[in-house]
Amino acid sequence: MATRVDPTLLKEMKKYGAVGVEKCFNCGNCTAICPLTSDEYAFPRNMIRMVQIGNTEKLTQSLDPWLCYYCGDCSATCPKGAEPGETMMAARRWLTAKYDISGHGARLYTSSKATWKAIVGYALIPLILLVIFHVSRTLGLHNYGDIVTDRVDINAFAPTMWVWAIVLIDFTLLGGRLLRNVINMFQLTMGTKSGKETIPLSVYIAELKTLLTHAFTQKRWLDCGEDRSRWIKHLFLVTGYGTMLVLIVGLLWWFQTDEIYPIYHPQRWLGYYAAIVLLYTSGEALIGRIQKKGEALKFSHHSDWLFPAFLFVGTLTGILLHAFRYAGWAWPTYIIYTIHAMILIAMLDTEVGIGKWTHMLYRPLAVYFQAVKVRAEEYNKKTAAALAAAN
Amino acid sequence: MMEKLLNTLKIDALVVGGGIAGMQSALDLADQGYQVAMVEKEASIGGKMIALSKVFPTLDCCSCITTPKMSAVAHHENIHLFTYCEVQSVEENTNGFKTTVLQKPRYLDADACTGCRMCEYVCPIDLRNPFDLNMGATRAVRVPFSTAVPQIAVLDMENCILCGKCEKACPVGCIDFSQQPKLFTLQTDTIILATGFETTKRDAKKEYGAGELHNVIDGLMMERLLAPTGPYGRIIRPGDGKEPDSIAYVQCAGSRDKTLGVEYCSRVCCMYAIKQAMLISGSLPLADITIYYMDIRAFGKGYEQFFQNARAMGVEFVRGKVAKITQDDHQNPVVRFESTDNGSKVSERTHDLVVLSTGMLPSYDTKPVYRIPAGDDGFVYVPEPNSAPCVTDREGIFVTGAAAGPMDIVDSIVMAGAAAMESAAYMSEKQDQAEIHEQAEESEMEVAHV
Ligand SMILES: Cc1cc2nc3c(=O)[nH]c(=O)nc-3n(C[C@H](O)[C@H](O)[C@H](O)COP(=O)(O)OP(=O)(O)OC[C@H]3O[C@@H](n4cnc5c(N)ncnc54)[C@H](O)[C@@H]3O)c2cc1C
Ligand code: SF4
Ligand code: SF4
Ligand code: SF4
Ligand code: SF4
Repeated sequence: MATRVDPTLLKEMKKYGAVGVEKCFNCGNCTAICPLTSDEYAFPRNMIRMVQIGNTEKLTQSLDPWLCYYCGDCSATCPKGAEPGETMMAARRWLTAKYDISGHGARLYTSSKATWKAIVGYALIPLILLVIFHVSRTLGLHNYGDIVTDRVDINAFAPTMWVWAIVLIDFTLLGGRLLRNVINMFQLTMGTKSGKETIPLSVYIAELKTLLTHAFTQKRWLDCGEDRSRWIKHLFLVTGYGTMLVLIVGLLWWFQTDEIYPIYHPQRWLGYYAAIVLLYTSGEALIGRIQKKGEALKFSHHSDWLFPAFLFVGTLTGILLHAFRYAGWAWPTYIIYTIHAMILIAMLDTEVGIGKWTHMLYRPLAVYFQAVKVRAEEYNKKTAAALAAAN
Repeated sequence: MMEKLLNTLKIDALVVGGGIAGMQSALDLADQGYQVAMVEKEASIGGKMIALSKVFPTLDCCSCITTPKMSAVAHHENIHLFTYCEVQSVEENTNGFKTTVLQKPRYLDADACTGCRMCEYVCPIDLRNPFDLNMGATRAVRVPFSTAVPQIAVLDMENCILCGKCEKACPVGCIDFSQQPKLFTLQTDTIILATGFETTKRDAKKEYGAGELHNVIDGLMMERLLAPTGPYGRIIRPGDGKEPDSIAYVQCAGSRDKTLGVEYCSRVCCMYAIKQAMLISGSLPLADITIYYMDIRAFGKGYEQFFQNARAMGVEFVRGKVAKITQDDHQNPVVRFESTDNGSKVSERTHDLVVLSTGMLPSYDTKPVYRIPAGDDGFVYVPEPNSAPCVTDREGIFVTGAAAGPMDIVDSIVMAGAAAMESAAYMSEKQDQAEIHEQAEESEMEVAHV
């Protein structure tokens, strides 16, 4: 099959954060030093090569970027300073945008202005909804949502069930988008769109175990570089984030109450646990990026700031909300509630397009697809051998 | 003798460094009748070249080329050799440069020593031999190496236990434990810097074992193993004395590597690796030799053919930068690399001996003494490298050989001739100007008389 050369690929990749690609003289040091490279999937040199020669097609089909956890060993030892690790990172951003049919991801990744616009747009949704809600109340269209000012009554200001309904709707829409992206990823990388022969379903089923373990543990990361603390911190973050997600999306009616529970009540300590974890991990990530600590944080694309920044201010406003509620300050509580909601919605909606959410899905899927491919290859070899023997 | 000489003789040029480049410049000037002083920091001249086995691409014996040059320098009536000396300071005056030189103590009377080595034979202190890059053994008092010029012993006070055996053994009674360093001055018209180069330290790269792996050596060590005067007289691994069956070369193990801060190509390491591979095939015909490279730089006359010959002889060339060297339980080095010339495959291969093709680094900073800055690569700065490669930015001071940047022997010799020419031209121009000045003064005087 002929290969199409796309001379604009390198330029495009730079918008996604690639640096130093031209410097690479293809010595292979990076691939040989990479702790995660394998016989079947030897990266990152091949990815840099594809960017250099403009092989968009192959890059689109590639799973390799997802198999890298950015330990940075390759960048640290590259004799040319060609920053191969950052090219892998840029390829992940680029693929995320490629999988997103809507083009939304591509817009946000390639322009910080568009990203700001999107953030403001998303953040306005809860504000506008609240305004509509209260204006329609004053117009007498409904009788929910009195604003109580002599004590804090959040559920009067923003009734839980209504808020929950909106969160669930948003979630469903986002989930739909994600699913569409995943299907697209599957089609691009597993042959249906790349024109290769299809792999029997039995192979997919046989490797399901791989998908589950990697989805829950991200354990490949453990082999990536000498610093295992990154994986532990990440796991820690996932527990905090997961807890918050369950509390807000799954159990909002239980979490957003006006009644103040005693300290040993799970509603309180679960919230505290999540808040501490999120504040610590996001704060550390932000400081690391500001100080350009280590290979993986040396370069920061504008999209890299979003998740830690959102998490940090989101958690901070959450803590303030909790404090004001305790203090019994009605108006400050309502205002910070609104801001908190604005931040959380903006975070969810942007993250689904271009952030950690996608990584969370694409990484284990890529490991899974890779395992499937390897198994299919073995399977094909065996059947070919059996056929040859029969003949 | 020295005092007498310095008081009576006018010296024209000072050559700093007695490697092949410095020797050639000195000889070229001396043959034209100039009086030349050569200051060498080691106890013998010869530089790196005298330690090499054979030279590419002709495979001529290195000693056979260098030793005659060394004696020619030592015996030339117009060359005055000062070994074991270092330049302390340089002052500019109306007559040129006034250089203060420190004579380091050899702890023996250099004029009396006959180089009989009786002291060396009786000395009870065995040391690793620095000339053999710490592979063989030597003594605390010694003639630096068999073909050293001058053949004068030097006593290593740091390791001496003052047992006095050498003093008793010396037939001319020249040992002098109380010798002190001495300063002397030289007045010259020009200076030629030929201070040469250093090689990358074996422990420079963490990924290559940081110098801790027993059977990973560098190019210069292999030169000594191959040299007829080498420490063992044959090729064995320094780790355990085993004769290696499989030898690998890791190219660019000190150059073209940003992580080491050396981005330039050292220009000689591809060629010396190929040369050594050929020589090894001669002495160990059954050994497998592999060269891991990024590109082979064989640019000189006959070099490409030399490379092709090595290929034809069965030396294996693998394109891929070695990323890591470790060792197995038997101290065999294991190299990890991606072979990049057919597809992409990461492999690990075990060899008996690995040679790092270490690069050429600047050896001497000319800034403090000569006020000549270093260029971006750390070698002596030359403002017009294309049109005047020997001319530094300080008038009257020239540079030659590997002091100016990585180069092989052929280029060093060519550049040495050029530096000699430049300094001769400078001196004669100065002479002409002085004459014109004199004439002008005379005619002025005549006018005054009239
Ligand atoms: C392993 C190896 C193999 C090689 N094989 C070959 C080959 O086969 N063919 C080839 O063409 N080239 C070869 N080369 C390159 C060759 O060694 C150099 O081109 C050559 O030695 C350069 O000569 P030089 O006189 O400029 O420097 P050097 O040989 O380094 O001489 C410099 C001299 O100056 C002295 N000196 C330094 N600083 C001072 C100071 N401050 N004061 C006084 N004296 C000082 C030093 O002691 C030394 O004697 C090889 C190099 C290496 C490392
Ligand atoms: S990115 Fe660096 S290490 Fe990797 S092949 Fe290119 S130059 Fe070599
Ligand atoms: S960052 Fe680490 S895991 Fe990713 S390609 Fe480089 S060496 Fe491999
Ligand atoms: S005095 Fe020093 S140099 Fe002389 S023989 Fe004794 S140890 Fe060796
Ligand atoms: S001469 Fe060869 S081994 Fe030496 S730095 Fe240049 S390319 Fe590398």
